[in-house]
Amino acid sequence: MRWTPSSADNVMAQPLLELRGLRIAFDTDRGQIQPVQAVSFSIFPGQAMALVGESGCGKSVTALSILRLIPSPPGKVLDGQVLLQGRDLLQLSEKQMRSVRGKDIAMIFQEPMTSLNPVFTVGEQIVEAVKLHQRVDTRHARQIAEQAMHDVGIADPDKRLDEYPHRLSGGMRQRVMIAMALSCQPRLLIADEPTTALDVTIQAQILELLRNLRQERGMSILLITHDLGVVAGNADAVAVMYASKVVEYATVFDLFDSPQHPYTEGLFRAIPRLGRPGGRLATIAGTVPSPRRFPSGCKFHPRCPRMNGDPLCAQTEPALREVMPGHWAACHHVQGFAAKPITQPTIDFRRPAVPPVVEATQ
Amino acid sequence: MSAGAAPITVPPIDLDAAITASFWGRAIRDTFRNVGACIGLVWIVLLIIVAVLTPLLANTEPLIVKVNGKISWPMLRYLTPTDVILFILAAAVLIAAAFRRVSMGRRAMAVGAVLLITIPLAYIFVHPPVTVDWQEYRDLARAGRIQYELMAPLPYSANDYQRDDPSQVLQPPSRAHPLGTEANGGDVLSRMIHATRIALSIGLVSTGIAVIIGVAIGGLMGYFVGRIDILGMRLIEIFEAIPTLFLLITFVAFFGRSLMLIMVIIGLTTWTLEARFIRAEFLRLRKQDFVQAAIAGGLPLRSILFRHLLPNGIAPILVTSSFSIASAILLETYLSFLGLGPVDAPSWGQMLNQLLGVAGTFVWWIAIYPGLAIFLTVFAYNLLGEALRDALDPKLSR
Amino acid sequence: MGAYILRRLLLMFPTLIGVTLVTFLVMICSPGGLRSVIVSHEGLMDPRQRAAVEKYYSKKYGLDKPLPVQYLLWLNKVSFVGVKDAGAGWPASWRFGFKPVDLGESIVHHRPVLDMVEEALPITLLLNGITFPIMMGISLWTGIKAAQHRGGVGDVVGGSLFLGLWSIPQVWAGVLLVGYLANRNFLHWFPASGLHDLRDEEMNFLPARLVVGFHCGWLLDTCWHLVLPVVCFMYAGFAFSSKLTRTATLENMAADFVRTARAKGVSERQVLYRHVLRNSLLPLITYSATIIPGLIGGAIIVESIFGIPGMGKLGVDAVFDKDKEMVLSTTLVATVLTLVSYLLGDIAYAIADPRVSFEAEGT
Repeated sequence: MRWTPSSADNVMAQPLLELRGLRIAFDTDRGQIQPVQAVSFSIFPGQAMALVGESGCGKSVTALSILRLIPSPPGKVLDGQVLLQGRDLLQLSEKQMRSVRGKDIAMIFQEPMTSLNPVFTVGEQIVEAVKLHQRVDTRHARQIAEQAMHDVGIADPDKRLDEYPHRLSGGMRQRVMIAMALSCQPRLLIADEPTTALDVTIQAQILELLRNLRQERGMSILLITHDLGVVAGNADAVAVMYASKVVEYATVFDLFDSPQHPYTEGLFRAIPRLGRPGGRLATIAGTVPSPRRFPSGCKFHPRCPRMNGDPLCAQTEPALREVMPGHWAACHHVQGFAAKPITQPTIDFRRPAVPPVVEATQ
Repeated sequence: MSAGAAPITVPPIDLDAAITASFWGRAIRDTFRNVGACIGLVWIVLLIIVAVLTPLLANTEPLIVKVNGKISWPMLRYLTPTDVILFILAAAVLIAAAFRRVSMGRRAMAVGAVLLITIPLAYIFVHPPVTVDWQEYRDLARAGRIQYELMAPLPYSANDYQRDDPSQVLQPPSRAHPLGTEANGGDVLSRMIHATRIALSIGLVSTGIAVIIGVAIGGLMGYFVGRIDILGMRLIEIFEAIPTLFLLITFVAFFGRSLMLIMVIIGLTTWTLEARFIRAEFLRLRKQDFVQAAIAGGLPLRSILFRHLLPNGIAPILVTSSFSIASAILLETYLSFLGLGPVDAPSWGQMLNQLLGVAGTFVWWIAIYPGLAIFLTVFAYNLLGEALRDALDPKLSR
Repeated sequence: MGAYILRRLLLMFPTLIGVTLVTFLVMICSPGGLRSVIVSHEGLMDPRQRAAVEKYYSKKYGLDKPLPVQYLLWLNKVSFVGVKDAGAGWPASWRFGFKPVDLGESIVHHRPVLDMVEEALPITLLLNGITFPIMMGISLWTGIKAAQHRGGVGDVVGGSLFLGLWSIPQVWAGVLLVGYLANRNFLHWFPASGLHDLRDEEMNFLPARLVVGFHCGWLLDTCWHLVLPVVCFMYAGFAFSSKLTRTATLENMAADFVRTARAKGVSERQVLYRHVLRNSLLPLITYSATIIPGLIGGAIIVESIFGIPGMGKLGVDAVFDKDKEMVLSTTLVATVLTLVSYLLGDIAYAIADPRVSFEAEGT
């Protein structure tokens, strides 16, 4: 069952996944922490959304919460909704949730080395995924698995199915993970830093694979990363997270052209440029706050160059407002911030496909 | 430098905090925080006290007795060299503990010196009579010839089989015999008290031997690696492949049953655990910078092994020692239980032996009390070992 | 896989040779030396007989030859491959190949040691064979349950209980079990000793209903006799294996591949029993191999308490009878048993963990 993209790209379609004000808390023995606070964004069919932020900002927790993979005794959802085509995933029973996982939404993780069970063959693990969600017998499931392996570019899929994970390289394993994730034709693939643990060249291959698969199947992808380069090459829309909140949300072009939030500005400034005379690398002063000790008011204010001692920043937390059409930011010091509307962040945008490179014939 | 500047004050260093932050200090403190370890330690200390004071606790001979107007001290006459040595050793340890300002090493050496002097002197000068008439003072008492006697709390020695009163055989616990009597007439509690020495000494000596052999072999393996390591591993595998109890009974079958021999044999058959641990530690340590520096500095081998590697690698051995003492005591129990233990030494295992094959009659006081003593002692050492392990290696704890 | 087994077998041999060396050294170093082993109980024979026996044995075992030759001769005697002595003269009449094992003769029982070992070995194997799977099974189950309800009452109490049980000496437990559960004066639920009832020859194998009433049959009777010994054998074995399973399960539950499985939609139950269990088995298999010598040695105690005629009892009786060859033989056989068990454990691990390859190390 393949979903075909509609011909009109800019039609205001229903978002595939909508996060509305998600708030997650963890009960630790030293009190409650909230690593995710009031996170909202939307993902449309066929869209690649990047969730960017430093380690510890809450992006992985957000992703895991979509599939309700946060272990429930320490973690709990305080507020918010996760709407998959209108259905609130947070209200589903565990059994219903299990049929969503792997089938409607699939997830791949950062460490391909340890993400596969070492005592089962690759084929057994993919077949397990297939049989969980499709009524097929083992032989047919194996064929599906083989096809999935082929789709992700693994040569000789029939033989590879009977290999054990420890025999495969990191890049291969990540491809297997992707194959496993795609085997049931999910509409959304959540990729939590899929290439961070891989070599740069393999990184490029995997990202290209993801791009191609997305275009072929019209699958959406939520790409979690801390690498702005990856964002630049792969994302349609970007949400920047800092210390448990989304601080900016825009199309990739708008974000790179005119970042509104001082944190985003700081990130771009910190990227070293080749060809410039050397000098000190720009950094953002200070360190990321730990969830136990979030600053009052705007969480970025202790490090913010725009603040200039403004007490507003220290007292009141800025909400995520639509400061420009299709561009949300959360900073008091954006021009006319207080008057901007608070709306559900929704960007139905897909970048134009990169045309294949054609050899110039003369 | 301006005149009148305030004198620079140096904040006082908190010595106690600095000291308790040391590795061993912290380890010992953590061990004592563990409830189980404290309970175990209490029991072990109790056993040590009982072992040292045995002749004063359970003795047929009175301490002081006045017969026909003559005062004599029979108990002192019947003291064995072992009794004397233990008394003096205990006194030395207690006195040494009082001198807090002298370093541990010096105090240990002083106690060791006292021991070395006492042992030969005791064997030269202390000669208890070989034959003992256990009934002597009881007969005198029955005849009414005793004006005054001061006896030990339990007036029965281990080998006093009460031949003068056959009705006392196999009696359940009573006021006279708090834990009952055996089939041969001996008092259970008295024999258990005397057996404490055997148990503790076997535990300590066997483990000591096992540690020395194990550390020697394991240390050499860990330091020299290569062929010595391979050879040593084969040796360890050989000794581990032979089931310990089988090896023990083989040794006993061939070499006999004296106490010293059994201690040595138990040590000879259980050294592999210590060897493995020391080998692992030395393998890890020899790569560390301070050892490399010592080798590069041309220090003699002896110095590298004993002053650098050994003190740093000894921590896991402490843990295994505790468990080894427990298992050595168990092994002696098993041997005695099978009837292969040290000849005529009273031992807890040997007391359980009496219940083997006694068809029909089950003597509960002999079954429960010696068994309980073994259990508590083994459990105490195991608790201590667990606590030491949790304290010394945080990675191993849950 | 056959090559793997063969390689493991070959690795076993040096250890086996080493064991024979150790036992030989024990024989030599003991008071009396090799001579006293071969010719025990010399005091019971009259001088002429004794001289003849000594002469015979000296020739057969080369007691007058140098020590290494004695060792080789003795080794040849007890091993199952060796030189077959087809007569005098060398090398023409000697052939190398499989030969019957000659463990000597029991002085006391006047039977070949091999025969007595053959009778006793299956019994010890039975005891171990029943105890081991039950023990591992219970440890596995309690470990998993403890990990599932970590920190709960069952976990904490169970852990301490097992540690306490482990500290109870087998001799005490056995004595108490016999004393309270097999005692005519107390609860006579189980028989006190032996493996079979006295009238076992007359029994049918299976339970049957006879005219006189229900007859339990040989099979059930043997099981009934086995209950107490098996309990005595295994009560202490749960402590470490259970904790090991618990730790392994907890570690695996937090592993990345479990997160992947959950993200696929696998149920918690399947995660535990399919994904985690297979991985938790691995350290358990490794550990179980190390306790095998303890089990085989521990059989001595249990067999002595319950009067079961296995290898352990054979060895102990031999010590009392001063039957030194028998003692040696039981020790040797026990060691061979241990080594074979190690091999089986290795194979089991290799089957369970696909990361262990059957090819030569280094591939």
